Amino acid sequence: MTDASHSTKTSSLNAFDAHTAKRNRSEKRFRAYGLTAILIALTLLVILFVTIIRSGAPAFTRNVVQIDFILTQAQFDAAEKKLLKTKEYNVLFSSFVANAITGGDAEMDDVADSLARILGKVGGDIRSHYRENPQDLDNSVMFELSASSRAEQYLAGDITRETLVDSRFLTAADLDVIDRMKDAGFIKTALDTTFLFGADAGVDNPGGAGIGVAVVGSFFMMLVVLVLALPVAVAASIYLEEFAPQNWFTDLIEVNISNLAAVPSIVFGILGLAVFIQFAHLPQSSPIVGGLVLSLMTLPTIIIATRAALKAVPPSIRDAALGLGASKTQAVFHHVLPLAAPGILTGTIIGLAQALGETAPLLLIGMVGFVAREYPDGLVAGFTEANSAMPAQIYTWASRADPGFYEKAWGGIIVLLLFLLSMNIIAILLRKRFERRW
Amino acid sequence: MFDNATFDERLDTMTDVKISASKVNVFYADTHAIKDVDVEIKDKMVTSFIGPSGCGKSTFLRCLNRMNDTIDICRVTGDIRMDGQDINAKDVDPVQLRARVGMVFQKPNPFPKSIYDNVAYGPRIHGMARSKGDLDDIVEQSLRRGALWDEVKDRLHSPGTGLSGGQQQRLCIARAVATEPEVLLMDEPCSALDPIATAQIEELIEELRQNFSVVIVTHSMQQAARVSQRTAFFHLGHLVEYGETGQIFTNPSDERTESYITGRIG
Repeated sequence: MTDASHSTKTSSLNAFDAHTAKRNRSEKRFRAYGLTAILIALTLLVILFVTIIRSGAPAFTRNVVQIDFILTQAQFDAAEKKLLKTKEYNVLFSSFVANAITGGDAEMDDVADSLARILGKVGGDIRSHYRENPQDLDNSVMFELSASSRAEQYLAGDITRETLVDSRFLTAADLDVIDRMKDAGFIKTALDTTFLFGADAGVDNPGGAGIGVAVVGSFFMMLVVLVLALPVAVAASIYLEEFAPQNWFTDLIEVNISNLAAVPSIVFGILGLAVFIQFAHLPQSSPIVGGLVLSLMTLPTIIIATRAALKAVPPSIRDAALGLGASKTQAVFHHVLPLAAPGILTGTIIGLAQALGETAPLLLIGMVGFVAREYPDGLVAGFTEANSAMPAQIYTWASRADPGFYEKAWGGIIVLLLFLLSMNIIAILLRKRFERRW
Repeated sequence: MFDNATFDERLDTMTDVKISASKVNVFYADTHAIKDVDVEIKDKMVTSFIGPSGCGKSTFLRCLNRMNDTIDICRVTGDIRMDGQDINAKDVDPVQLRARVGMVFQKPNPFPKSIYDNVAYGPRIHGMARSKGDLDDIVEQSLRRGALWDEVKDRLHSPGTGLSGGQQQRLCIARAVATEPEVLLMDEPCSALDPIATAQIEELIEELRQNFSVVIVTHSMQQAARVSQRTAFFHLGHLVEYGETGQIFTNPSDERTESYITGRIG
């Protein structure tokens, strides 16, 4: 090796020849490309998440005006005699709060006027509380009332003193009152349970809108998809992969399954409308129809994943079982299917996640956001009563004019993403649990 | 190299025919893989199939327990009889046949389950054990027959895939033996094993012969000479020569056999 006599062709190991240098350069270049691509993807992902969380987080909290209020029996009786009862309670409450803030000085009346705008229509809530709980009269009761949507926007920073133009709803003096209330500790930030567990609200009431009912709608749809799509898809895959003869007919089925996986989801929506609602007369806007449509959409995804998982099981395992005198069915169910289970589960959960995020077909069968007005009463009603689903609810909110709904839409996206994330975690855990090496 | 005397010692006097095949043809789609093969496999003897790669010896072996049925494009014609019964008859269930004709494959293929479950699988699906105790006995006896008991008796419930290659193959033999087959087909059982593991398996085959008739496909002529009483030489889908191992290796009647065993073809 140290012999220099035959080194005419052998170059030194310390110096690159031209070809090696070129190869090394191209390898470095390729790695740089890959790294750049990953960095770009990660940056975009971070931007996406930061945007979503920043825009959506306020949807989970709300500002409440928290005040210990005392209503005397005399005030109550007097108010009940008035023609406009709730307005009277509005006035009573506003003056009480104004008194608490100012200590009863000269500007009290102005503050009370502001409060009427800040608090919005709270009279009804207060009146019904005392009508139901007359024992609270003359006692101090803590009220937690939501601020009006304009006040909310000021607190959230969407309205500033500089941008304040709509004086009919909120004046500069009102903003001073809000600041004073905040300083006095009357305004607190609380978890918005209305958003998490509530139903959709009218177009003028973003504060009262919640995603809870839509979550329930999504849940019932996923049940339908799981119960229908999983067994059908797994049975079809096992048949096609393990039992079906290879001929033009099974080839045709195979091609069509792959094609179905690529059909735009809105086509399934039209199909659902025509077949399930107009022909079969299933209830419109119901999770059962949504589930059926999404099942059709999810079937090819699960079939393709299941077939890939079955194909990945080494043929030697089938031979071993058959060689021992197991029937084909025994070989499949005792040996092949358990080994394919992690892949099947992953495929199923990916299919479910895809179905969970689907909007277009739901809009066509009438599962739009504003139908999610109340919780279904009972299990059967959960399937048959009109409801929406999370993505359709988000879509409905996003298309409403009030910026309060815009925030709700972002919040809804966070909820949806949390569901998808937990489904993916379940997929990973199940995979780990069932995985076996051979 | 192949001394006549060593074979004479091993010649068996039992001459019952276990499986007889006549005019067997196998087609893979358009390929004619096996051409008019006639073979008689005798009971309680080791029969080896030798021949160059692609000569059809494995394909023919798979005819004997109808494993070729599992390949869509494969078509088998001809008459194969076990104990006088046509195994390809319409009323013969291949599943039942395979319980009587066990098979060991080229690559060790234990199930990804425990050693115990691997061996117990056959008896379980055939309902051979009436109780847990019965099953334990069958497993122990089979592992003993597979010359594996002493190595694994303390870890019956650890995965079968965790064993070494040679142990895995002996586990597969034990698994095949557990269903009490009458014939044991072995498709190049030692090709993935080292010489020591191979020697263990060969020793095992000699013992198995007491109870079963064994058919072994092998690439190694030395192995055929060492373990078998009768040898069949396949070439290009034809059965060229079939006879007592000693005679095939020392005094082949066909030119092609002679060329193959002396290393000129194959």
